[in-house]
Amino acid sequence: MRSIQRRLSLGLLTVLLVVGLLLAQTSLWLFDLGLRSYLETGLRNQAETLLSSLARGPEGVQLDQQRLAPSYQRPLSGSYFRIEAGTQLWRSRSLWDRELLGGAAPGLQAELGDGPQGQLLLVYRAYYRRFGQPLSITVAKDYSPVLASFRRLQYLGLALGLGALVLIFLLQRLTIRRALRPLEQARQQLLQLQQGQRGQLDTQVPQELEPLVGQINHLLTHTAESLTRSRHALGNLGHALKTPLAVLLSLAAREELNAHPELRATLREQLAQIEQRLSRELARARLAGEALPGAQFVCAEELPGLCATLEMIHPRGLQLSWQAPKDLRLPWEREDLLELLGNLLDNACKWAHSQVRLTIARQAAGFVLMVDDDGPGIALASRAAVLERGSRLDEQVAGHGLGLGVVRDMVQVWGGRLKLLDSPLGGLRVSIELSRAVGMPAGLTPASAP
Amino acid sequence: MRLLLVEDHVPLADELLVGLTRQGYAVDWLADGRDALQQGASEPYDLIILDLGLPGKSGLEVLREWRAGGLVTPVLVLTARSSWAERIEGLKTGADDYLAKPFHPEELQLRIQALLRRAHGLANQPQLQVAGWLLDERRQCVSRNGVEVELTAAEFALLRYFMLHPQQLLSKSQLAEHLYDGETERDSNVLEVHVNRLRGKLGREVIETRRGQGYRFTGTPA
Repeated sequence: MRSIQRRLSLGLLTVLLVVGLLLAQTSLWLFDLGLRSYLETGLRNQAETLLSSLARGPEGVQLDQQRLAPSYQRPLSGSYFRIEAGTQLWRSRSLWDRELLGGAAPGLQAELGDGPQGQLLLVYRAYYRRFGQPLSITVAKDYSPVLASFRRLQYLGLALGLGALVLIFLLQRLTIRRALRPLEQARQQLLQLQQGQRGQLDTQVPQELEPLVGQINHLLTHTAESLTRSRHALGNLGHALKTPLAVLLSLAAREELNAHPELRATLREQLAQIEQRLSRELARARLAGEALPGAQFVCAEELPGLCATLEMIHPRGLQLSWQAPKDLRLPWEREDLLELLGNLLDNACKWAHSQVRLTIARQAAGFVLMVDDDGPGIALASRAAVLERGSRLDEQVAGHGLGLGVVRDMVQVWGGRLKLLDSPLGGLRVSIELSRAVGMPAGLTPASAP
Repeated sequence: MRLLLVEDHVPLADELLVGLTRQGYAVDWLADGRDALQQGASEPYDLIILDLGLPGKSGLEVLREWRAGGLVTPVLVLTARSSWAERIEGLKTGADDYLAKPFHPEELQLRIQALLRRAHGLANQPQLQVAGWLLDERRQCVSRNGVEVELTAAEFALLRYFMLHPQQLLSKSQLAEHLYDGETERDSNVLEVHVNRLRGKLGREVIETRRGQGYRFTGTPA
């Protein structure tokens, strides 16, 4: 979609151009018409004056040269006449060596006639009857100065019109920008929403935008609520299923089963499978993914709590540290990221000898999360298999935790990349690259802001 | 060691009660959050195992009110809600450890032992070890320099309490409060008998008597 501003500008510009040209041309044409009919009156008067200058002399009809206007005498003066009376013909001296031609119709000729020296002549012809014989009188006036001034007027008009157009265009741009400011504001807010800097759009918007903003806010609230609801329901389901599982696990540990080790082993194995499957599916179902655009994870607020929790769960004097740029906010849902980092760090804590380090850094395309430990690591050859099967990395250490399975699911949902590398601390480094632009619609990227 | 178990799922509570009692803990069991709030604050428990999904009052609220009221007893939270966000919230509310359901009974044992050691300033010890005495909590026996001494359940519970409070003067009533659950009749003569038997097995100087005041575990072998 093109921008509304460009569309409005283009539309207005076209209308202005068409209407302006039409108006200018029409008014010029009307002016020309009026001028010609005014000049026609003058020409008729001249013809009548010429008629009255004809007198009957000793050699028949004569033109009284004394009574002619001086402009007829001056060569190429712009005023011309031609009188035909039977075989007799009078031409004004001003015509010099040119003939005055023109149509035969009486009145003002529609076409401009050619005059001497490229002059364009307004030609008037009248028929009379005098001294018993028919007369035709043609008078002409040079029209080219008028045409020239018309042309000048056109140029001037064009220049003025263009100037006006530019002015109007600029003013209109300003008006539109002003009128569209709430839209731009909403766009900025959507961007902030996407980056997780706000959870709702401002409701102080013009009437036209109110339903849109209201709807978006409603949708956001609704999504957040249904996420909370579904998480709560999942929690209840987990509670309802895991408590009996805990009973069964406890039963499997009873002394009565000491005599039947194979029975106990099978029971435990099956229960472990149920637990693993259940936890993984519940964790997957809890994922908010891209559902909440306003979600964000404030590293400085969340990481200390997470580390404290991990230190509590693994009370063996591990050195747990995290590093992240100051004020870093990750544009993902808080519980999702806590789950991801919690599982990664928990896994690292199980294997580490003394040290676990979390590093979060910005990248060109997004973020990279790295969890290092100084444990035994995973051999290069078995890393691919570990990732592929999502197999339990933590089978040897009892307790909760699904290791990399849940992490892999989450990274997949976010379209990120999970890699197992050698850590500079000596153990395993789990590196997760997440792209910032996931789920962000085109046109909402910060770079496109005008 | 006297524990309070707050769990509303009766079959699980039964299982845990059997297991914990066998490990020499005196356990009181409650299923309702409101009862737990009141009793947890009034009785001198050494550790509280708290389920979060309780009727009456949610476990987190109970915990919050306990901590607000100044209760410092270590609390092990037991819950099926095992997301990290919930664990962090539990910790911020004042939990000392977090065990997700379902769990292996041994895991619970280990965590209770570790938490008790930690609460008595004996952190980072895989086993309870005081003045050369090494207590094997799983097999309920004590050893010194590789020489193992068998213990009865009552002797084990008593010795564990002594070893968690080394060099401290413990009155008979304090010992009774922490070694017997709320329903057992407390008889100071029985306590005396157990102390004497322990002396018989470990040596007279291990437990010192302060007349009219109580006992003190010195750990000095015979």
